[in-house]
Amino acid sequence: MTEIVVIARLVPDLVEELEIATSGTALDLAWLRLIINEFDNHAIEQAIILKERSGATVTIISPEAEGVEDMLFTTAAKGADKLIKLTGVGEEKPTNLSMAQTLAEIIKEINPDLVLTGVQAHDDFTGDLAPQLADLLDMPYVGYISGISLGDGKATAYKEYPGGILAEMEIALPAVLGIQSSEEPPRYVAISKVRQMMNTASIEDRDAGVLETDSGVVIDRMYLPEVADRAEMLEGDEEEVASKLIAILQDLGLL
Amino acid sequence: MPEHNEYWGIPLDWGSPNILVYSVMFLAGAILIFRFYLRARLWWKIGRPEPRWNKLHLRFYNLIKYSIVQTRILRQKYPGIMHVALAWSFFIFFLGTALATINTHFYHFLTGLVFSLYKLTLDVFTVVFIVGALLAIYRRYITKPDRLTYQPQFTWSLILLIIIVLGGITTESLRLAVEQPANAAWSPAGYLIARAFLSTGASAAALTNWHLGIWLVHLLTVAFTIVTLPVGSLLHILTGPLNIFFSELDRPIGQLPPTPTDREGHPVYVSKLNELTWKQILNGDACTECGRCQDVCPAFGAGLPLNPKDLILGIREIFEDAKLSSNGNSFDKSLLENQKLNKEALWSCTTCAACLTECPVLVEHIDTIVELRRHLVIEGMIDPELQDALTNLGRYGNSFGQSPRKRAKWTQEIDPPVKDATREPVEYLWFVGDYASYNPALAEMTAKTAAVFNHAGLDFGVMHKGENHAGNDVRRVGEEGLFEMLVEKNLSALQRCQYQSIITTDPHTYNTLLNEYPFSEPQTILHYSELLAQLIKDGKLRFTNPLNYKVTYHDPCYLGRYNGIYDAPRYVIKATGCELVEMPRNRDLALCCGAGGGRIWMEEGKIQERPSESRIREAMELDGIQHFIVSCPKDITMYQDAVKTTGHESDLTVKDLIELVEEALEDSTY
Ligand code: SF4
Ligand code: SF4
Repeated sequence: MTEIVVIARLVPDLVEELEIATSGTALDLAWLRLIINEFDNHAIEQAIILKERSGATVTIISPEAEGVEDMLFTTAAKGADKLIKLTGVGEEKPTNLSMAQTLAEIIKEINPDLVLTGVQAHDDFTGDLAPQLADLLDMPYVGYISGISLGDGKATAYKEYPGGILAEMEIALPAVLGIQSSEEPPRYVAISKVRQMMNTASIEDRDAGVLETDSGVVIDRMYLPEVADRAEMLEGDEEEVASKLIAILQDLGLL
Repeated sequence: MPEHNEYWGIPLDWGSPNILVYSVMFLAGAILIFRFYLRARLWWKIGRPEPRWNKLHLRFYNLIKYSIVQTRILRQKYPGIMHVALAWSFFIFFLGTALATINTHFYHFLTGLVFSLYKLTLDVFTVVFIVGALLAIYRRYITKPDRLTYQPQFTWSLILLIIIVLGGITTESLRLAVEQPANAAWSPAGYLIARAFLSTGASAAALTNWHLGIWLVHLLTVAFTIVTLPVGSLLHILTGPLNIFFSELDRPIGQLPPTPTDREGHPVYVSKLNELTWKQILNGDACTECGRCQDVCPAFGAGLPLNPKDLILGIREIFEDAKLSSNGNSFDKSLLENQKLNKEALWSCTTCAACLTECPVLVEHIDTIVELRRHLVIEGMIDPELQDALTNLGRYGNSFGQSPRKRAKWTQEIDPPVKDATREPVEYLWFVGDYASYNPALAEMTAKTAAVFNHAGLDFGVMHKGENHAGNDVRRVGEEGLFEMLVEKNLSALQRCQYQSIITTDPHTYNTLLNEYPFSEPQTILHYSELLAQLIKDGKLRFTNPLNYKVTYHDPCYLGRYNGIYDAPRYVIKATGCELVEMPRNRDLALCCGAGGGRIWMEEGKIQERPSESRIREAMELDGIQHFIVSCPKDITMYQDAVKTTGHESDLTVKDLIELVEEALEDSTY
């Protein structure tokens, strides 16, 4: 049976207003709400699609964070078979290398054919979790994948390049793939199914061990985008904004 | 003295005609019962159990009201009169025959004046029947409304009925012609025909022979009709009243049943015939194919792939298929594979309840539609827009995908500040709803509502981020788990508040709070139109600036049909000094705006004319209407769009009730 591992991370939800902590170098965690990283969500969907198509065991691994259990049970409701939570991950973000090392240990035990994760996450500086993981596991890596089909000991991955060029590449398994989007948009899973999973599915806790948080990058200042002088904000309701816009375009001789 | 003469003109050497008549009728009756039993037992055999045997007094009351008096059928003039003319006359004929039997065998009372009155009644109803039959013929073969089913079985039924009645009156008039009894004038129609027979100059013996022939035909036609009843379009004579008798009594229409469970307690998400309840299968068999539901369905009218009549008949079709191949394992036939019940049809329903309100045999369309939708939701068969809305509702408690913390952002501008009901006691807790809270186009309306409340000196507050979408349409979409979650969240927020009444802006919210929320204590829940009417009556809102607008009013489905609130908004409109002109489809006939049942979150699909556009056109037919008044925030957006797309922007403005009130209060007062 094909073994697929998916790494799923929670990231700050941008629907909520972000606040900068008093330190001025980080987000204020008190106001943060976390949501699954969109790309990881696609990675999960891709894994489930592969499972439905040709059978597979899907394991989801997630670093501990507020709401991670709900997220894991949701993946179980979609069809994931095994849920693993990495415990002992502090509030400070570990480096990707250190996280990859911890994950690699667990993944080696599973001995998967395919490791999927989102190609990026919006709270990630370096975006190199998947390549680091590939390196540690001694597997090939391809990123920005938007579709996979499994063959015997190999996979065909689809990757879209700018300008609408679609590349189809064959990869020897096992491999690590960074997912840009799944073949189908992530499915909706009914709340009652998730709730049922909360009663029946179980999450295995794994200790993350010692994680390195110093990436060598020092944050001087974190701030919300400031309104630059050059930008003129048009205020008012739709009508007013529209008429101001027309006036400006007329001034510029564009209308 | 005239008296009932049994078996006049039937040769006595036949032995007692009683034996003939009773054996024919007994046989026909037995065949009828047996055939009907074969069909009916399968409802219970295939369908899931569902208890519908309680409140028998109400069930009998409904039976009389809907099957005998036929109040529902009479909602529509032409088909109503047509049907009761046919049905009531047959009730009378049936009763007449029964009385004659009693008279013959048990108690001899059909003599003298009683007998003459008896004759008169039968005669009059014969004429009534003929009028009904002519109306039916004209309708079925001349005007041919789209909503009817044009199949030979309907023609056959009509022919049989006509033969029976004509046979009856002809035998009667032949008897009159020969006997010429003293009370012949009490059967005016029969006597008229008798005179015609006499004018042919035929001998009494000839007339008596004719009588015998026609009497036999009459008898055999009755028997034939009875025998074929379970397979023809007259089946509804049996199934209709049964469906009415077993109609839902335990819940108001605004309350959907929870997801059913099987014996082991697992939820049942209906997608197969044998997952329907026996009552849902009976719905299919009871449908008279009258097409009333089709006529009023906004989805059908808009050209969407839903026809409530077909949907119900689809169930019958699947049931009949299963019945034919009834080797026992064909009962799990898929419902969704049937074209009439496929997912496009199911997703088109706005749950407006127009079909329920119109159906003469009380078919419960919406329960079945929502149960099938639950299956689609569990299987993830939902369109991307709906998926986004549900995901947002699950995560943020609103369909807009906005932060819960922004729910009360509109209050920032309000002075005096709107109280936070989760922090301090208020008299009125205002459940604002998603649209009024988040839709920027409605912010002004919501602010005006607050201003009017302040003007009336109300002590009110909102729940800020404690409020979640109330879930009415989440439930109707079929996402029962999400509905339950929203209910839990709202109930826990409400439990933290101290208040006397809940006011709602959105009729959908109003419906679910009122009918579906399992409050531990009784609640007073008001729609703002009710509150406004009350404030006006109490003198707390006095209008100093009477408006002289000519307006019309649109009844929201969840306020009107669902909860019977028709008068409060009308009272408010009139109190502001407006002249209210009704659209032809008003009160429980009101056309749905098209947004309900979660339709507002879905892809629109291929639509010919939006219900909201049809509604605006309807309003434009009225003479000199300036404003189209609504009392539901969703209606504002729906109808403002429709006014634009129909090109009536300069002739008609859509206004909320609250805008009229605010204007009539005169701006200087606050
Ligand atoms: S509830 Fe309304 S939209 Fe749905 S089937 Fe009935 S009439 Fe049509
Ligand atoms: S469901 Fe009711 S209203 Fe619709 S066609 Fe059948 S009997 Fe008529």
